[in-house]
Amino acid sequence: MMDKLNDKKSKLFLNLLLIAVFAAILILLDTKTIGDAYVRRILNLSAIYAIVSVSMNLVNGFTGLFSLGQAGFMAIGAYTVAIFTVPLEARAKIFYIIPQNPVLAQIELPFVIALILGGLLAALVAVLIGMPVLRLKSDYLAIATLGFSEIIRIVFTNIKSITNGALGIKNIPIMPTMWVFFGVAIISIGLMWLLINSSYGRAFKAIREDEVAAEAMGINLFKHKVMSFSIGAFFAGIGGGLLATLFATVDPNQFYFPVTYNFLLIIVLGGMGSISGTIIASFVVTIGLEILRFFDEPLALFGVNIPLFRPGLRMVVFSILLMVLVLFFRNGLLGQKELSWKLVFDWLSGKKPIKKTDEGGAA
Amino acid sequence: MKRIISLLLSLLMVLALFTACTPANNNGDANGEPDEVVEPGEEDADVIKIGVFEPLTGMNGGGGLQELGGIEYANKMYPEVLGKKIELVVVDNKSDKGEATTAVTRLIEKDKVVAIIGSYGSAVSIAAGDIIRDAQVPTVAPSATNPMVTQGNDFYFRACFLDPFQGEVMATYAIEQGAKTAAVIMQNGDDYSVGLANFFINAFKKLTGEEASIVDVSEFQLNEADFNAILTNIKAKNPDVIFAPSAATTAPLIIKQARDLGIESLIMGGDTWENPAVIDVAGEDAEGIVLSTFFDENDPATNEAVAFVEGYKAELAGKEPIIPAVAALGYDAYILVRDAIERAGSTDGVAIRDALKETKDFEGVTGIINFTEEGDADKNVAVIKSVQDGQFVFIDSVEVK
Repeated sequence: MMDKLNDKKSKLFLNLLLIAVFAAILILLDTKTIGDAYVRRILNLSAIYAIVSVSMNLVNGFTGLFSLGQAGFMAIGAYTVAIFTVPLEARAKIFYIIPQNPVLAQIELPFVIALILGGLLAALVAVLIGMPVLRLKSDYLAIATLGFSEIIRIVFTNIKSITNGALGIKNIPIMPTMWVFFGVAIISIGLMWLLINSSYGRAFKAIREDEVAAEAMGINLFKHKVMSFSIGAFFAGIGGGLLATLFATVDPNQFYFPVTYNFLLIIVLGGMGSISGTIIASFVVTIGLEILRFFDEPLALFGVNIPLFRPGLRMVVFSILLMVLVLFFRNGLLGQKELSWKLVFDWLSGKKPIKKTDEGGAA
Repeated sequence: MKRIISLLLSLLMVLALFTACTPANNNGDANGEPDEVVEPGEEDADVIKIGVFEPLTGMNGGGGLQELGGIEYANKMYPEVLGKKIELVVVDNKSDKGEATTAVTRLIEKDKVVAIIGSYGSAVSIAAGDIIRDAQVPTVAPSATNPMVTQGNDFYFRACFLDPFQGEVMATYAIEQGAKTAAVIMQNGDDYSVGLANFFINAFKKLTGEEASIVDVSEFQLNEADFNAILTNIKAKNPDVIFAPSAATTAPLIIKQARDLGIESLIMGGDTWENPAVIDVAGEDAEGIVLSTFFDENDPATNEAVAFVEGYKAELAGKEPIIPAVAALGYDAYILVRDAIERAGSTDGVAIRDALKETKDFEGVTGIINFTEEGDADKNVAVIKSVQDGQFVFIDSVEVK
């Protein structure tokens, strides 16, 4: 078996097979042959979480910048999509307390353009914020970015003629197919994967390992940090835009700072510095939370109601599972490694993985 | 071996998601013909499922639980429809929009409920609205007062009055009491507070016919506990009334600090103030505050209400001193849905929706209920309560035409 694995052809075959299986499942789901709206919704949400988590991992895991501003960037993307894609005739009803800004009230953009615009705006804001803030290190940077994300939320609550303030915006057009979410996710994550494996990516990793050494090697610290930060923000904005069309509504409270912790949890669980680990963790956490829902329902065993099963238990169980995972997988699911066939087969046959695992990425 | 087992287990976990759901043959097309049976044959035939989505944890957990209490009590009183047992499927939306949308999708797709009740808090109801409309599952919100909940949504109904109405009621009452000027305090970022405050401002200006009748509008942030700056400002302008719609946790702070500053204006709030916590924290300062609410247990409007107050009071004994208004509304939402299923004679979504629309002079706990075109309960009377000797007392019911 191991000999076969070293064979490039069989690896390619396995990769193609895996892609075919995933594509087939997705096509079957999308054409409503299997599953239902509930399954599709959870998978769409997982795909969005994957984009945002990978974008956060780019900054936190690969560049080593402890940033907690993801919720703020998502808010920018989500609001851009919300403001520009809501049908013109529905706007007067939504902005019923303070009318929408007369200029904005005339503009309606196609979804894709609004989505990209949202990402670009998030990136622009990230550059502006990043220039002063990225001079800070570790915890100080975390506090500054957290503060920034709160500022964004409060600004959005207060510019009522643009965002409708606390009332939020509804009637955002819903996308009819899963390919919107999965297509954007595949493209976004693919782009980030290419970036990480380029010379820029190697520079990011060098900065993560040792800033002084990286600088001595001729890496422009500031330029690379701002770059990583703003690209991360761009994809967080894209994720936020997708979230807006999935929920069909946005309001400022959706982007409270605890939202960022969801993504922090996913990247810690999947492995800081592992794209495939982050993707797996996004799906496991989102799907897992739904599966655990049965803890919230009353359970009768042999006709006796077990009093422990009541609303809220799900989150208790989820937290316990998290603690167990963090205790036994201190580096997350994959640490800094990427998923590869070699890793999978080594793991299955109980072998300790050999150090060099970079080759043959399947994900 | 261990590894293979754990791999299999995780595979099983993913598969469980798929297998638990039977293939959906209703593909959400908007043709909505009645021959498309919503409930597939393999479902348990002698149970009719009604979904309940409420915030049981999170920011609005307290209110959600009170509302759920009323719904469950109604289920106990009227456990059957069309000769079948009604089963409540309760899901928690964690006061979160994302959770609300998945929770509702789950109710519709996985549990195949025929109707839904919920939710406390308008924001989560609005978020779930589009899914409900596309899936054609009739839904009744007991206490979501924001106009956007039912707006443009044929399948969303509500059992309570709306914020514009409540704002108008308070403005009418204030003017009846001889007020000529008013100051408004609202919580920035809270859709309930901002909405209600704005409707009050509009109504007050219209009724007095003077733009200058609102002397001050101030906003405070979530978790703010010191209102002295706002209140000192208001004191200088000496308004006849202060209207401060806010959560039950903030209300007593505002009341106490206003009285400490020597402000003697009439202080008024919305339905959220009808909460024992307000009196507990504000103590003597709470005396004389005025609020509007949906329901008064000492003045039952219908026969249904008499029976409800008696029965539910016993149920609540030792837990809560008064029947929360949202529990009464939850009860009404349930009996409205049950009545509609009974009259529709089927569990088809469109048929139930039509039956709900035709609801006429329905005797609920919170009064006689008819629905408007938009699906809102057409109520023109609100209860005004005040605090006297540490108790909420009924003082008036205000009618708005």
